[in-house]
Amino acid sequence: MTVSTQTVSTIQFPYKRTLGPVMGRFFSELTARRIVGIRSGERVIVPPMEYDPETGNELARDFVEVGPAGTVRSWTWVAEPIESHPLERPFAFVLIRLDGADTDMVHVLDAGAEDAVYTGMRVAPRWRDEPVGRIDDIVCFVPGERAEAPEGEPGEAREVTTMEYFSTITYTDVLSPTLVRYASNLRAGKLTGQRCPRCNRVFLGRGYCSVDAIRLGPELDEDLPDRGVVSNYTIVTPTPYPGQKETEPFARASVVLEGDEMVIAQQQILDLPVSEIRVGMRVRAEWMPEAERDAAEITSKGWGTVAGFIKGWRPTGEPDEPAEQYMNRVF
Amino acid sequence: MTTRQKAGETRETAVRQDSDIAIVATAQLPAVRRQELTETEMLLMVVDEALGKVDLERSDIGFSCQGSCDYISGGTFSFVPNLDAMGAWPPIHESHVEMDGAWAMYEAWVRLRHGDIDIAVAMGSGKSSTGDPAAIYPLELDPYYLAPLGLDPVSLAALQARQLIESGKSTERELAEIAARSRRDAAGNPNQQVRAAEQDVDKLLAEGYLRNPLRKSDLPPISDGACAVVLVRGPRAAELTERPAWITGIDHRSEVHNPALRDLTDSASTRLAAARAGGVAGVEVAELMAPFTAQEVILRQSLGLADGVLINPSGGALTGNPLMATGLVRIADAAEAILADGRSRTLGHATSGPALQQNLVCVLEGDNR
Repeated sequence: MTVSTQTVSTIQFPYKRTLGPVMGRFFSELTARRIVGIRSGERVIVPPMEYDPETGNELARDFVEVGPAGTVRSWTWVAEPIESHPLERPFAFVLIRLDGADTDMVHVLDAGAEDAVYTGMRVAPRWRDEPVGRIDDIVCFVPGERAEAPEGEPGEAREVTTMEYFSTITYTDVLSPTLVRYASNLRAGKLTGQRCPRCNRVFLGRGYCSVDAIRLGPELDEDLPDRGVVSNYTIVTPTPYPGQKETEPFARASVVLEGDEMVIAQQQILDLPVSEIRVGMRVRAEWMPEAERDAAEITSKGWGTVAGFIKGWRPTGEPDEPAEQYMNRVF
Repeated sequence: MTTRQKAGETRETAVRQDSDIAIVATAQLPAVRRQELTETEMLLMVVDEALGKVDLERSDIGFSCQGSCDYISGGTFSFVPNLDAMGAWPPIHESHVEMDGAWAMYEAWVRLRHGDIDIAVAMGSGKSSTGDPAAIYPLELDPYYLAPLGLDPVSLAALQARQLIESGKSTERELAEIAARSRRDAAGNPNQQVRAAEQDVDKLLAEGYLRNPLRKSDLPPISDGACAVVLVRGPRAAELTERPAWITGIDHRSEVHNPALRDLTDSASTRLAAARAGGVAGVEVAELMAPFTAQEVILRQSLGLADGVLINPSGGALTGNPLMATGLVRIADAAEAILADGRSRTLGHATSGPALQQNLVCVLEGDNR
């Protein structure tokens, strides 16, 4: 049976950052449609930094209003913007030397066409309708000397102390040949590992021995029993966080497969109150129905997970193994 | 007497000093667009190969350090499974840098300087194929002023290249010549990814811009790959290999993180690092980590490399760019110029951060027999 050899995952990073007194001032001024730099010796640095880039010395908070117009010092044309770019139509990334500044600022230029852009051209900001204190309160720069802004005078600057930045990245993970074989076998209801010829331990879904650092090929494949013994467990009282689905205390157990070889961690024990879980308890895998088996959680970054194939483990009712013999089998 | 030395044979300078450190072996996987093996499996292979070249076992290693990046691999603590490449037993001291393997090598070099261990392994690995570099790259930029603009690496390199050209320090033709030369050199190097691409300068110049003034040939490929080097202290180095690549100087320096505040046409940090690493006089081969053609010009001019110096005879980062390993590959190739090709003085360079923000220079020497 074949499985997809790719897994796709999207990771999102919702950052919230404190701005501090220097960048905080810059972003606060943007809310009043003003751009400020900071004095560093004879120079004015825009956007401002806390320290002198040459010496590392902290700068006195001597802010200077600059711009709003400036001169393009370098540019490149983005003919096909991607999702993370600020404009959806073709635009230029530019280095701009704002009037009154001694350093350049990176921003974007909405110039319509590539052949309209040149080094030395004069540009001015297009302001967002309702500034929030972010660098993209300047939506972009536009050709000319005059800033574009909504009607009316801007209000007083609002104090901005934090900034949010949301990043989202999608990864496509191509499974290694070992993982493809592992996932195919799981889909068929079989747990397969490879036995290390040196230490005799069996490893699930890795293709190498973690102890001896030896690659383990398909010739070392071995079907493993889907029965085992609880070697360790923890009871978790859920506190809410994004993605948390549990509401009541739940257990996560480590299961040593029969034969005392491989430990599968973070497993659910089914149909048993958490207070009755014990080390030494014998359990058997409860497989997902064949149609629901899903390899999405098998990735090249994991260590032989069974998520998506085994729902959990059910006590067999047989007498426990002596707990003492699992004291060294935490993971 | 060293194990490889025949009776009666003497070496002029078999060991410079006990505290000196040499690269005695290197290994790299060919850079490819998509590698199916996991990063751990990739590292297993390069560590096996590098150790095998000098008949060492993992149990001989006193310290190991890896360079990799969670954002590139898309997993938290991705270096933890990568540690399996060293094996859990016997236990050794391990470390990790969230940077190119060149910086892992720097840490391994510092660790060896303590004097209590003789052998260290440094590694770098990365699989750029899993994510989109244009989406990941802004996360290394200033998160306040630059990241929200979605400034991608190619656009930033184009802003730098335009300033270089408009300042008169280079021309589009020179950039195309660098691309052509890199591709010609890569054609003979099975470790490089871009080996059969167009090499004619005029044809390259006739291609359209991807980001004006950069064409596709001015850009690196998206690569997966891994590299490992074995570092050994003084007496042991000369026992393990005929002609160790002695690290006679290594230094890294960084500049202000916001590229718009720098002179993008110069690399002051590279110049300073090279001076601190012993200077470029007498260097025969320079492996410079220049993923964009214009960056090679900037590095060469900043270092003041003479016309006769062979630059990136491997094909360089323009023809194979496994992120987090590219810099270590440069140093490994510079070391191989001594270990395998008999050169006397070479230079390996690695860069990190936006538009050549941070730079590491490693000067290597072989002893003449």
